[in-house]
Parts: sequence; C-alpha cells; structure tokens
Amino acid sequence: MKKAAVTQIFKQAVCIAMVLVVLAPILLTLFAALKTRADMVNTSPLLLPAHVTFANFRKVLGNKYLWIGFRNTIAILAVSVFFNVLLGAVTAYIIERFQFRFRSVVVALFFAGMLIPSFVTEIARFKIIKGIHLYNTLGAPIIIYIAADLMQLYIYRQFISALPVSLDESALLDGCSYWGLFARIIFPLLAPATATVVIIKSITIINDMYIPYLYMPANRLRTLTTFLMDYANAQQGSWQNLAAGIIIIMLPTILLYVLFQRYILAGITAGAVKG
Amino acid sequence: MHSLAQKRRQFIFLALMIPTALLVAFVAVPGADLIRMSFTNWDGQSAASRFIGLDNYVSMFRNKDLWLSLKNNAIYFLVHLCMIPVELAFAVLLNSKLRAAKFYKTMVFMPYIINGVAISYAFSYFFSPVNGAFDAILKALHLSPLIRNWLSDPAIANYVLASVSLWRFSGYHVVLFLAALQSVPQDIQEAAEIDGANTLQIFRHIQVPQIMLMVDFVLFDNVRGALQVFDIPFVMTQGGPGFATSTFTLYTINTAFKYSNFGLASTMAVAIMVMIILVYVVQNEIIHGLILKDKR
Repeated sequence: MKKAAVTQIFKQAVCIAMVLVVLAPILLTLFAALKTRADMVNTSPLLLPAHVTFANFRKVLGNKYLWIGFRNTIAILAVSVFFNVLLGAVTAYIIERFQFRFRSVVVALFFAGMLIPSFVTEIARFKIIKGIHLYNTLGAPIIIYIAADLMQLYIYRQFISALPVSLDESALLDGCSYWGLFARIIFPLLAPATATVVIIKSITIINDMYIPYLYMPANRLRTLTTFLMDYANAQQGSWQNLAAGIIIIMLPTILLYVLFQRYILAGITAGAVKG
Repeated sequence: MHSLAQKRRQFIFLALMIPTALLVAFVAVPGADLIRMSFTNWDGQSAASRFIGLDNYVSMFRNKDLWLSLKNNAIYFLVHLCMIPVELAFAVLLNSKLRAAKFYKTMVFMPYIINGVAISYAFSYFFSPVNGAFDAILKALHLSPLIRNWLSDPAIANYVLASVSLWRFSGYHVVLFLAALQSVPQDIQEAAEIDGANTLQIFRHIQVPQIMLMVDFVLFDNVRGALQVFDIPFVMTQGGPGFATSTFTLYTINTAFKYSNFGLASTMAVAIMVMIILVYVVQNEIIHGLILKDKR
C-alpha cells in the first residue's frame, strides 16, 4: 500500500514540474505586461508589481494595426478553411471510395506534396505567385493554404473509411446523382471530421508567420502574427509593452484550444497514424 | 441519358479537377522548378536567367558558413532525439494510474498550439541578459554562477534555442505516444501482469513493439523538423551573432530573399531534400537494422 502512495506522489511531482515548465514563460510574460517601466526595473521578474497596470494592454488594443491584423487573419482564415473543407472532403472521398485509372498517380501526387520541405519551397513558389499577380494581396496566403496544406486528407480519409459502403449503394440505387450523394449524405456525416479540420486549420493559419511575412509586406495586409513582429521591432527595450502584445496575440489560439481541445487532439493523432 | 459509369467518371474528373490542378500548380511545379533553378543563376527579379550547370553546387559545397549552419541543425536534432525517450516515458506515465491525468494531458500539449512568434519573443524576454526571468530563477535557487549570455554566447545559444524548440514540441510527441499506447489492446497487458511481469517488462516487451509505428513517425518527424528549423532562430536571434545560431534553412532563405540569389538557394533547397532522405534512411537502418534487429 505504501509503495503505491509513494509512486503516486512521485508521479504527481513530475507532472506538477511539467505544468510549471509549461506555464512559466507565459505567466512571467503576463507579469511583465502588468508592470510599468519603473516596475520592470524595481520588481523581480518573478513577481507581480504592488499595483498592476493595464496601460500596456490599452496601448496595444489602441493600435489600429492590431485590428487590421485581426480582420485580415479572419478573412484569410474564413476563405481558406471553407475551401480546405470542401475540396479536402471531396478529394478524400474519391480517393478512399473509388477505383479509377489514375488513382495511384493522384494518391502519389498528394503524398509527394507532403514530402516537399515547407520553407524552402517558397523560393520556387514565389515566382508563380508573383506571376499571377497575387503578391501583396490576401490571395497569396489563401491560395497557398488551399493548395499546399494537405493534412485534412488524412483526417477525412480515416473518417470516410469508417462509413459503410452500403450507404453509397442504396443512395445510388434510389436514383441519387453522385453529387447529391456526396452533398446530402456523405458530407453531413463527416461533421465531426469537419469540425476537427476547421479548428486545426484555424490554429495553423492564425499562428503562421512565414507566408504572411513573405508575401504580404504591405502594412494594410498585416496579420495578427506579422503585426506582432512589427510591434516587437518598434518596442526596442520596452519589454512591458511587447509583453502585452505577446499575451494578446496568444489569446485566440489558447481560447480555441480551451474550447475545442477534444477535436484538436483527435485530429493531431489522426494525422500521424497512417492507418 | 448517361450511363452510371459515365456519370461516375464525370463526377471523379470534375471533383478532382480543382484540387489536383492547385496541387500541381502550387506544389508539384515549384518542387520541380527548385531542381531546375539550382542549375541557373536567377536573381529573383530579372526576366532572364542563365544556365550555369553545376556552378551552384560547387559554390554550395565550398560555403563554410552554410555547413556551419548545418552543425546547428544537428544540435536541434540531437537535443530532440535525447528527449524522445523522456517523452515516451512521460506518455507511459500519463497512461498509468494517475490522478488528474486529463488535466496534465491538456497542459503538456498546450505549448504546441501557442503562437510561435509570440512564444519566441516571450522566451527572448525569459532569457534576457538584463533583469531576465531565467537569471532571476537561477539567483533564487542560489545558482548565480551559472548565469550566462543565453542568447548571444555562441557556445550555448544553440542549446538554449533548441530547448525552446523542446518546450514547443515535446508535448506534441507525448500526445502522439499516448495515443499509440492507448491503442495497445488491454487484454495482452493484463495477461502479462497476471503472469507476474513488472512495469518495465511490460513496457519493453509489450508496449514498445506495438507503438513502434508511432515511434518511427516521431523519429522521421524529428529528422524533417531538425533540418528545417527556421522560425525560432529567425525571430529570436536572426541567426546571430554572425552565423552562430543560423540554420541551414535560415541561410537558404536569406540567400534567396536577402542576397537575391535564387539559383544558389534552390541548390541548397535540393540539398535539404536529399539530406532528409539520407538521414532518415541511415536512422532507420541503425534503429531497425542494428539496435532492434526487427527489419521487416
């Protein structure tokens, strides 16, 4: 009996240590965000000041580029996720359910697409985006997110393989067209997978730094993340201001995580288990 | 009236047309173009580019700074590699009789979803040489002599950055391992317990073989990730001081977009692709061929 208790205490200690490591950088940044410049010098970074101030947060929230960034991020997100869901679901459905002449070519193509290294591909993609005049428009990240990010295929394929084929067959026998079959029967049944894809994609897009940084240098096209980069460069030495910006930018995905944790974890593991 | 077979073919063709076209235009073509560009001297702007054969490859192999950057990638790779057994152990811990396991699982994964740029700046603050939080912690633990210039000392900066990477991605690995562990059939484990096997034996002989698929995936992901480290050094140190914390990808991106040498950068990109395959194959050989001897 005693051994079990000691083991449990040891396990709890390890886990609590983990929680501290996870929370430390975030909490300490929050502390800084609540301090004045004087507080930063006079109080230990490990402690809250005697009087917390929200001036830093007010400053960030008053910056118009934060809201421009918010608006742009939402716009990019909405369009990209919409098409990712639609195209991903129908592609996964066809690959999973149909045998046709070029199936292996298509499957190989999509798999090879996932192997190409992410950052350096932009060296070649840059030319194409510029060529179709999408450089410095919201269209650039949108088209790249739709075309190149293929993890939704894993999630949809796994889900579709669990749907009974008899469903398709009875619908077709009843005279339903393939489009009707997909739109009215298959797609609604994919709702949990769609929820997972929407949430995971949203997090990926909100957090993306590289594509907006590379393709949208204009100020009016800031996203939440590139706004933070600009803000950081402007805050030389003023950690408390930057800290407030950091906390605000962290909030959207933390919120999504808190609300939809179940879907996120299901999707992440589905994407990794090649069944 | 179209036959069902015709309708079927129509459906497949029309539905796959757009995603496939997008994939070809924005993934396959750039992929192939990278290889083509590696043999040219394109600068990213002019209409003309000249075919220069293997010149780029020669200058790439002669570039000392580039391969020094690769050494930094190796640091990320090895640091993460050493952490994988710990992540596995932690997953086993989370899978065992543990109070508040769900809460701990939530916490361990959280770093993964946090905005990478935001957390990079947060760690820049954490490791700041002036009144930094990490230094304050060391002082509180009476470990002041250990204080260094965490982000600017070339000897340790990469390890500091690699530990930021650990903070961000270990939880992701733990959750993957946990999912794999939870897919191990219960009855086998229970039978072994009844036969008197202890925790370590169950781990080694029952759980590990069942989760090898996931371990393989994490090992591959580590190779891929380590060779493409970009945003942490980009945001926190810009690869500096000098090239001390530069990585292969960071150097490649700068070659293209800062120094306008798209041809040479493409060569480096090709090198990355080759290296990912090479390291993965070698790693696979070592782990399955020599250590586990379970090559299928």
